[in-house]
Amino acid sequence: MTVSLLAILGLEYRYPGQIVALRDLNLTIERGRKLALLGANGSGKTTLLLHLNGTFQPTGGAALLDGQPARYDRRSLNHWRRRVGLVLQEPDDQLFAATVEQDVSFGPLNLGLSEAETRTRVREALEALRIAPLAVRATHTLSFGQKKRVAIAGVLAMRPELLVLDEPTAGLDAHGVTHLLSALQRLHDAGTTLVFSTHDAELAYSWADQVAVLHEGTVLAQGETTAVLENRDLLSRARLKPPLLLELAQALGVQQNGADPPSRSREVLLALLRARLRGADLQIPDR
Amino acid sequence: MQAIDHHAWTNRWRDWHPAEKLLPAGSLLILTLILPPLSSGPLVLGSMAWATVRGAGVPARALLNVLAAPAAFLVAGVPFLAVSVHFADGLGLYWSPDGLRLALDTTVRALAAVSCLAFLTLTTPLTDLIALLRRLGIPAGLIELILLVYRLIFVFAERALTGRRAQTARLGYVRFDRSLRSVGGLASNLFQRALHQARRMEIGLAARGYTGELRVLGSERALSWPRLMMGMTLVALIGLMGEWLARGLS
Repeated sequence: MTVSLLAILGLEYRYPGQIVALRDLNLTIERGRKLALLGANGSGKTTLLLHLNGTFQPTGGAALLDGQPARYDRRSLNHWRRRVGLVLQEPDDQLFAATVEQDVSFGPLNLGLSEAETRTRVREALEALRIAPLAVRATHTLSFGQKKRVAIAGVLAMRPELLVLDEPTAGLDAHGVTHLLSALQRLHDAGTTLVFSTHDAELAYSWADQVAVLHEGTVLAQGETTAVLENRDLLSRARLKPPLLLELAQALGVQQNGADPPSRSREVLLALLRARLRGADLQIPDR
Repeated sequence: MQAIDHHAWTNRWRDWHPAEKLLPAGSLLILTLILPPLSSGPLVLGSMAWATVRGAGVPARALLNVLAAPAAFLVAGVPFLAVSVHFADGLGLYWSPDGLRLALDTTVRALAAVSCLAFLTLTTPLTDLIALLRRLGIPAGLIELILLVYRLIFVFAERALTGRRAQTARLGYVRFDRSLRSVGGLASNLFQRALHQARRMEIGLAARGYTGELRVLGSERALSWPRLMMGMTLVALIGLMGEWLARGLS
């Protein structure tokens, strides 16, 4: 059995004032996966993410890094945050420097890298997100989508093994989402493990290879994307809707096996649907 | 403020090394303060306005807007220098020749000095000035403070603006008493958000290995000696001409 990169065991977290935010929570993050934390508003997604890089210390249970219980002293935390990069939902919470280049250089310089090496890292990170032309722009003149990409570049420049993103697509337009997902896909192809939170079952279905469903501060289920999202009872308990593409695939009787079945792409499903309509000799009348 | 920042980031001289702008402008400022203002002041004002508008390509309107605020203070304050009060035979106000001269000197000197600062702020992004301050050995804590304030001003200005719009949409400013209430609400809301923002920014920075020092890359721009020498030559010429004119006038 391989040791998972990061595991959460029986986690409980109480905010000061004794409000229980997370309880009995188990989560396993395996190397090389794309894991979606799917949950409705207020289900505890952000609180959970803040445990993944040691920002919050559990009030019960534990986080395991490479199978070892995580420690929360300054040195261990520094080491932890080198390996696990966290991107907050709101880019303005993260960007502090006046120019893009300066902001992205912050992490690498904190790693103790030389100025020359830092410049290389900054350039690489900006190129990975296709925003190299923004390097000398003032942070406050960027659009929301651009800020979001800069925030990710700032974490990426530290070359984390695991990249954790809080609602990465929230607030982005369709083009922005496509752009962002293809950038993340390139990172994933290069070997970065990805964890992201979302309330969008469509996104989880079309893009993640594993899904964990959160509800009222606990993980109801974690597993392969299709297997989890096929479970209608589970989704309705978590106040989520099954993804339309999955329902369409089911209605068309498409097999759902494999980690990345062709039925997840809307192009394939639409082509199938058209063929089926022609076969049944159904015609949608022109108006 | 946003307009100033916009011009600072987009003018033709934005990419110059900040010292090429700071040294001539700073020297002119000092000249203005030590030379007789009536001769050197107009020269300084003229050359700085020329550099800002013709050189860096900042619209003249933007320069006038920046100069307008201090000019308003001058209009409000200077007349009192020109008049004197006598109690000899009853209370009387008189124009005094010395006072008039003082008022004129003050106006010219102040406008000339402000034009130097206006040139600097309109042509140099604050980040460049901060980098320069850092090199001059200003304590890191102070510089980080400037940096964060500069960044957060825009975040909060945006929020204040949106908040005000939302209040206005619900008729928050329909009467004076409602306006007071709305402004109070907005202020306390911004205060609360500022605290939350600070907490979240701390989390974001910690995630990137923040250990108490905001270190970022400096700019790579090289100082152009010819440009700096040209600037300083202009300063010397203005100084000499000012001095020569002053002798001619007196």
